[in-house]
Amino acid sequence: MPDRFRILWEVTKWEFNRFFKWMDLVKGLLFFLFFGLIGGTVGHWLGKESFSPPEIAVAAYHPFGPEMFEHDQLRFTIHDGTNTDILEQWLAAGEIDGILTIRSVDDASIRLQGERAWLITLEQFLNDLRQDELIRESGVDPGLFALLEEGIALNREFDAAGTSTTVDKIVAGIAIFLVLIAVFMGFAYQFTAITAEKQQRVTEQVVSAIRPQTWIDGKILGITGIGMTYLLFYGAMGLVFTAVLMNLGVPVGSALALINPLLLITFILFVLLGILMWNAFYAALAATIDDPNTSQKTGWMMMPVLPVMLAFFTLVNPDSTPITVLGLFPLTSYAVLPARMVMTQVTWWEPVLALLLLAGTVHLFRLAAGRIFSTAIMMVGKEPSLKEMIYWFRKA
Amino acid sequence: MLTFSDVSKRYSKVTAVDRLSFEIRKGEIFALLGPNGAGKTTSLRMIMQIIQPDSGAIVFDPSITTNNGVDRSRLGYLPEDRGLYQDTPVIRTVVYLASLRGRDATWSRKKAVEWLERFGLRDRMNDKVSALSKGNQQKVQFISSILHEPDFVVLDEPFSGFDPINQELISGVIRELRESGMTILLSAHQMQLVERIADRILLINNGRKLVSGSIDEIHRQTVSDTKILVQYIGDVDTSRFGKIPQISKFQPADNGNWEIFLDDASSLNDVLTGLTSAGNITGLKTADVNLHDIFIQSFTNGGKDHA
Repeated sequence: MPDRFRILWEVTKWEFNRFFKWMDLVKGLLFFLFFGLIGGTVGHWLGKESFSPPEIAVAAYHPFGPEMFEHDQLRFTIHDGTNTDILEQWLAAGEIDGILTIRSVDDASIRLQGERAWLITLEQFLNDLRQDELIRESGVDPGLFALLEEGIALNREFDAAGTSTTVDKIVAGIAIFLVLIAVFMGFAYQFTAITAEKQQRVTEQVVSAIRPQTWIDGKILGITGIGMTYLLFYGAMGLVFTAVLMNLGVPVGSALALINPLLLITFILFVLLGILMWNAFYAALAATIDDPNTSQKTGWMMMPVLPVMLAFFTLVNPDSTPITVLGLFPLTSYAVLPARMVMTQVTWWEPVLALLLLAGTVHLFRLAAGRIFSTAIMMVGKEPSLKEMIYWFRKA
Repeated sequence: MLTFSDVSKRYSKVTAVDRLSFEIRKGEIFALLGPNGAGKTTSLRMIMQIIQPDSGAIVFDPSITTNNGVDRSRLGYLPEDRGLYQDTPVIRTVVYLASLRGRDATWSRKKAVEWLERFGLRDRMNDKVSALSKGNQQKVQFISSILHEPDFVVLDEPFSGFDPINQELISGVIRELRESGMTILLSAHQMQLVERIADRILLINNGRKLVSGSIDEIHRQTVSDTKILVQYIGDVDTSRFGKIPQISKFQPADNGNWEIFLDDASSLNDVLTGLTSAGNITGLKTADVNLHDIFIQSFTNGGKDHA
């Protein structure tokens, strides 16, 4: 291996290993599994509790008939002849959950120990009873009333290939979210790596040994490697989770069907190039920061989030002209086009052109970053202005 | 090993190095001396390719150059501005820095263990750098600069931060490295140590060369051969020293002593009367002029106007 590439590989490995810890990944996974298990157990227990129908004693039911008190989530017992004191004793002892007293179609009350979730169901049940009673009293034909209640049925007929369903949107949203995680990871690590090197005075001996361009290339590759590893890890976990849900009978098969190998490879390529591009941007910017606590430049670090935010607009209308253009524009394509590809049909040349433009931009960003980095990394006690950075780039 | 020809470097309003020229020979210890701000570190950074000169040329021996310029793997550097990755184990740090200079991990690890053993740090090799004292971190940094066995190493202030025992250890190692064939360029303020180990010296000030050569050559070029230590009791009328033509320079020393430097052809007899007229002498002895004296004489404004 030529020396330049061997050293680039050494720097890449170093930067990757500086921040990436397998144990942290495993611990994070165990943490989520542990809390997922607790959450699932508690949820299951609460669910069982909530599905146990409450015992409601009906003390008075006029003007409704006793046979009308039937509901699959509420258990009624008619106690119109039972002494109120006895019912209250049962309530206090927990033998029943409530005492319902109906005085008219417009007047009813329930006595119970405290607020309960099933009260909403009970209220809906009583409203239905009331409505049926009022229809009966007014002599309106129930069939006609049901017809009046119905709206027009608008049948949606899409061109199937270009249609985005709710499942599409969820998958696209998850993809954009994963990209956001990877971009933020790059921000955090690149920022920490470079400002710490400046503050720990490591810089001088490294730039005496290797060219700044090799150093920054290694940093960009190493930290992009971390972002991609996390992305692939959590992506794989997501697929496993989805497969588990399928086995449990949850209808998520349509989400998995969207992920075909070609789409997956294209998505990975876009994300890889996008993260490389923004990591180059972060590296150059971090090199110009003298003290992260006081620097005015840290706000620039949020810039790469903008394309990801724009990508969410894809979920609204993936075929609009601005979104189509943003899907090709190199600063936004890495987030917008993969989302479009999930949501709608794109012509074959769009991803090809977008990838070429993005690759070219990555190369330009990398060169610019190297030139800014090589001068700025040695500056201590002063931060260069934008004008100076442009000058260095042009001079180099 | 290196020719530094007519090199200049200017920072906005300051000329750090001003048409400076010198040559470093293969296998020697060459010391670059000068007061703070003389242009030493800038010169060393230009040699290490960290910054580029505005004009002039820095030419390395063909044995350490390739078609693309100097082979950085053949250079070593201990910067004045020291620092190491704090949250990384010692052994990993030095192996990584050697890998940047072209050495493979197995070789570097073996050598690193040997050097850490020698500096009394073998037991700490798996500790994080941040767990070491400042002095031990300096040792790790020194090891990092020479571990890959460069042909030419630049040591900027190699003794700073060390106690006298470790200064001796470092100076011994530097001499050994020279014996093994390494060429060493160093900058330091510990004159006694430099005097003992340097083969040749270059004194610079304001980015310009003042004088260069071996210690003997510099002696001849800069100061008289005679230094007298005179001890007075009571007040000393130093204005009398200025009236003695044979005195080239004088300066206060420890314990009420005065250091008096005589012009080349002068003898003690020529100045005794004048010295007694300045005060009551309680002791008097001759001493050798050392590098410290040369340094002070070279960088103070002449000799007789000192008081």
